[in-house]
Amino acid sequence: MAMVAFAGCGDGEQEQARSHPAAPSLPGLYSVGARIFGLPGGPVRLAEPPVTPLAGWLTPAAVPSADGRYLAYNSWRELRHDDPKLSWPDQGIEPGDALATPSIRLYDSRAGTDDVLAEGAFSLAWRADGALAYFKGAERDYRAGLSYVGDVIVRPSLEGAPEVWSSEPGRYIVVGWAGTRLIAYSEHEGEALDLVVFDGPGQMRVLAADSALVAISPNGRQAFVEQGPAQGRPTVRVLELETAREVAALDLTRVDAAVGWVGYAGDWRADRVVASSTSGLAVFHITPGKISLQKALRVAASSVAEPRFVGSSGLHVRAWTSVRRGGVFLECDFTVGACDRTMPLPEARGVHGFPSWRRPLYNPSRPLGTS
Amino acid sequence: MRRAVVTLAAATALLACGSATAANGWWTFNRNTNLNSTLTWKWTYPPSPAQYSHSWRAGSGSSANECRRGEGWLPAGWYAQWGHWNHYEGSAIRGRVWWVQDKYCRDGVTKRTELFIHSEETASNGQSCTSTYDDPFCWEREADYYSLGCMKLARPSPVAGFPNDLGSAHSYYHTYGGSSEHGDLPNDAYELYVFS
Repeated sequence: MAMVAFAGCGDGEQEQARSHPAAPSLPGLYSVGARIFGLPGGPVRLAEPPVTPLAGWLTPAAVPSADGRYLAYNSWRELRHDDPKLSWPDQGIEPGDALATPSIRLYDSRAGTDDVLAEGAFSLAWRADGALAYFKGAERDYRAGLSYVGDVIVRPSLEGAPEVWSSEPGRYIVVGWAGTRLIAYSEHEGEALDLVVFDGPGQMRVLAADSALVAISPNGRQAFVEQGPAQGRPTVRVLELETAREVAALDLTRVDAAVGWVGYAGDWRADRVVASSTSGLAVFHITPGKISLQKALRVAASSVAEPRFVGSSGLHVRAWTSVRRGGVFLECDFTVGACDRTMPLPEARGVHGFPSWRRPLYNPSRPLGTS
Repeated sequence: MRRAVVTLAAATALLACGSATAANGWWTFNRNTNLNSTLTWKWTYPPSPAQYSHSWRAGSGSSANECRRGEGWLPAGWYAQWGHWNHYEGSAIRGRVWWVQDKYCRDGVTKRTELFIHSEETASNGQSCTSTYDDPFCWEREADYYSLGCMKLARPSPVAGFPNDLGSAHSYYHTYGGSSEHGDLPNDAYELYVFS
């Protein structure tokens, strides 16, 4: 494991070796390529690397079950190579050609098995009682020039019968459970996202149009959502999930300019929310009817993703960013205003054509005992 | 608005050629900032290698991280153009649009999808300016150059005097080497190159 410290403020990805009194620790559960660290039985190598090409980090790459026995993860098997430098016609890719198969796989740490749970599927949410939700494509394969549409599926348990919850096929990305409600995105042209709630089978409603989810409240009754500058004035809001009523809002143009706007996939612990921001990270304090900016932290990285609280202080956060050599974990301390970076297994090679991909693995559903 | 002026050589060539139907065109996109980058239509008159071009200010994304779905600007590389509509009627994008292929971003994992060149206008190429701050089909302000990942061109509206860059790009596209066809064009040879 290589550990490189870097200054919390500055520009670009310039690394500065510097001593630090406390070496940064790693997320409890994380992946390096197909290798998983932090499981109770020790490191394992999965059959496929957990990756989410059609969702990015709108949703976790892998989600542990509440009891820690299972890890459900997204995989992506390329049926033919797609070189990003070249256009599809220049690679001989024709309209409708099958390019890849997304699947959700299940690793059982007790049995040591790793099997496909749903083929032609991606993005999943796992509830404390074992109910599992995911998006399943109308077709198995992702094809050139065709939108990958399908339905939201819910199983009451791993063995339970799958039930369609979406009332019509669409481009959905499943994010997490909020109590018995399922939170997902409905995606439109231009990667426009509506945050939607499923109250049950066939009962979908838009919670927040043109918005993305930062985090679900610990009790599962509220959502902290963000809206970026492409949809108007950058704003964060707290919404009641049952009614979609706005209970608090903060216009981000009226706070520390370092915040700019915030991104999706953050964390909510007690009365604090952490989110990635234009310049790094932002922590918000939530009180009844009010959101206030508690701290903004400039981070010397191109972009910070999936920040999550560590401990109960609300001032220590783990996240990750990308550098040329792959993903790097950050551990940020708001009390000193700096982050350290850790790159586990820097010698790791890619798997199945993918670069070595390092990501924290977590369950954003609430309420939930594990995270 | 920033325009790269068509050169005198280009003007001369146009006069010499008379018809532009033999031209061969393609897009390029120079990423500078999310709010102020440059979309260019380039064309040649084969077999002559001389290139002619016209450029417009364009925005893309709200983050310079091309891997952030729904936020990052357009990833670098060559794109196929998969369609062009004058009256597209999507839920989030309408009017004159060009649709380009999906693309892996630089992390080699994340796929960006549903990518367009567009503006903020109605399906009938008008403006719907009703709210106090931001209408999705009205070009009101500088911040309208922000997008969720697509490339956006300005156009005039009743509430703001932005240049008609969308109309200009549309005209150059059809006049100088772009397809005359509309709709799904899956075998369209007109490509886009996004510089790193």
